[in-house]
Amino acid sequence: MQESSIALTDFISTQVLEPWKGIKKVAREELFTSGHRTCQGCESALVMRLMIKAAGPRTIVLGATGCMYVANTTYYSTPWVVPWMHTQLGSAGSAATGTAAALTALMRKGKMEKEPINVIAFCGDGGGADMGLSAISAALQHTQYNLLIFLYDNESYANTDIQVSGLSPYGANSTFSPPGKVHRIMHKRWKKNTAAMLAAGHPDCKYVATVAAGNAVDTLNKVRRALSIGGPTFIHSLDPCPKGWDYDPKYSHELGELAVETGIWPLFEVEEGKLKMYGKSKHIASGAIKRKPVKEYLLRQGRFAHFTDEDIAYFQGKIDAMWENWLLPGVIPFRAA
Amino acid sequence: MSTGSVEVVYRGIFQKTLAKNICRGVVFAARKEGKIGMAFGRYSDSPERNGIPAKQFAVVSDTQEELQEYLSRYEPDNNDVTIAADDTLCKGVESWAWYGLQPINKLLKEGGTLLVPSMRSPDDLIRDIHRKGAPYNLAIVKGTASFSGLWVYKNDHTDVRLLGALAKVAPHIIGRDAILETIREQWKDEQKVASAKKSYELTKSKSVGADQGNDEVPFEFELPGWTKMEEGLVIRGMAGEQKVAGRDGGYVPARNPTFKKFSTRTMRPVVNFDTCTQCKICWLQCPDTCFDITPDGFYDANMEACCGCGVCEAVCPVDNCITMVNEQAFTDNASQWEMWAKDKEGYSAWMSKKIAAQPPRSHGFHHRGQYAEEIAHESS
Repeated sequence: MQESSIALTDFISTQVLEPWKGIKKVAREELFTSGHRTCQGCESALVMRLMIKAAGPRTIVLGATGCMYVANTTYYSTPWVVPWMHTQLGSAGSAATGTAAALTALMRKGKMEKEPINVIAFCGDGGGADMGLSAISAALQHTQYNLLIFLYDNESYANTDIQVSGLSPYGANSTFSPPGKVHRIMHKRWKKNTAAMLAAGHPDCKYVATVAAGNAVDTLNKVRRALSIGGPTFIHSLDPCPKGWDYDPKYSHELGELAVETGIWPLFEVEEGKLKMYGKSKHIASGAIKRKPVKEYLLRQGRFAHFTDEDIAYFQGKIDAMWENWLLPGVIPFRAA
Repeated sequence: MSTGSVEVVYRGIFQKTLAKNICRGVVFAARKEGKIGMAFGRYSDSPERNGIPAKQFAVVSDTQEELQEYLSRYEPDNNDVTIAADDTLCKGVESWAWYGLQPINKLLKEGGTLLVPSMRSPDDLIRDIHRKGAPYNLAIVKGTASFSGLWVYKNDHTDVRLLGALAKVAPHIIGRDAILETIREQWKDEQKVASAKKSYELTKSKSVGADQGNDEVPFEFELPGWTKMEEGLVIRGMAGEQKVAGRDGGYVPARNPTFKKFSTRTMRPVVNFDTCTQCKICWLQCPDTCFDITPDGFYDANMEACCGCGVCEAVCPVDNCITMVNEQAFTDNASQWEMWAKDKEGYSAWMSKKIAAQPPRSHGFHHRGQYAEEIAHESS
């Protein structure tokens, strides 16, 4: 067993991606470019562009089924400059682990030059938080591999015309939950707290973050941190979706910001066991700024157009509880008895 | 013994319900006249996207056998009527990669009618519509394009006004009385019936000659067959940067050559380079990577790639730097920065004229009650 004398740790160096201090420092190179068949104002397309801009050219991207697979690779064409491969709906975690393991093996056997190559697997909320959660969990346990699981969350199965997922918000209109005359609210489950669940459940995972692409420079730097720190990492992005949320595409950026300002989408990172809130969420958590009422966010979207004052009050109450009653506000819901 | 078909070209999710209402209306009306019909969308448009041109069809036959015979084709290509649900579709339609730019009248039969809701004159529309090479008719239903989203529908009667006009231009497909009765049954709203009736009365056709229209040759591609595809269906990646003459020191990203996406656009950003502070936010926030970086550090929205979402205008921190302007004001995709660099005063005059002259466009849901406000405004 000659090979066993070489430790796996020989191959787990990562690329060193320093944070970009301000928009002027952001690389101009485009690695996900024009000519994808996404909606006007698609925030997830922007997120793909930022994700790969942050990672740089020596990167392999794997994509689970969803809008960012179907819309981006319409009939025998691609906007990707880096190598990209489709993987099955629930398989972002397994594809990332397999690819990282394959690179390690090829380098160990001398079939590839030794070089740190970023591996990113992206998935939507359906592919990641519903079908793929167990595979992502497994990937986050394999601490010898460097990989990033990137969940782009547009809060529904948007590609197949807006079915409810585990990350759809309470009460939203969708193909599976159309409000009716007898039952106004057809989707009553509360959104899963995915990033915090994965951070809490995988203590050896060195980096978990939430992002919103409206904060583009922060988003870029979270990706750069995740790829530099080593081991399996996870980023969860909230992506306003003009098709499924039903709003004028020019408001993608603004709605993402409103999600943060109303406290619905807390921005945080957990690095080596330490939680840090950042952006406006940091000031909300410290009490420096007040949360905006969720009504300002909800009534900008056609998917909540059926909401009554009672529904808005219920939604506001859940958000208030998240910031006022949770053990770690906006992150960990339970507390000691 | 006959079959007739109607093609509805529309702006994806923005007009999906509108297109469905029209095609359903045709089929229900056909039944009233003892005929048989079928309405369907193209499978390849699915999943539909905001703005990207999609199509639905309604086919009406005297007998079931004729209907089945007609439906055995992939896409009806000999339509009696083509409805362009938004007048900017008259510039041509690109629905997916390798599709090329299809003239709006391509699938219209000789002597058929192109029906468009628009505030523009026939001659102004014909400027944009590609030459057909055969005579056809153009009918305009006066009004602005009706845009809404997946969940909240803008009930501005565009659906029934188009159905009323359809009965006028193609009485052999649906008759006036059948369509009015269908509208009464489907919507139970006498105002909608009245709108359809009025539209029927007002609609006039204008004949368009074989050689009239836009003489631009629309771009097209030769579809690669399976023998030309690579093992494993590998698609070659793109280069990261294009080398463009006169752009050294800037950055022009490579772009998917087989899907340009600009036919999705109903508005385009017009950039005032004199007020631009080069803050880079439009460039960084563009989901379609459409800003070319110029050698002098400006951001030039590339009109072959821009799909007109309006995010750049929304994020621009400078007043009056980026303005979204109705696409009908333009006849080409030329670079604004090059025009500005050549003649700054000329550009400024051109820009002011474009911004001032064009009616604004509605682009979907902003807030509750907005569509009712818009309808009240439009009818006043």
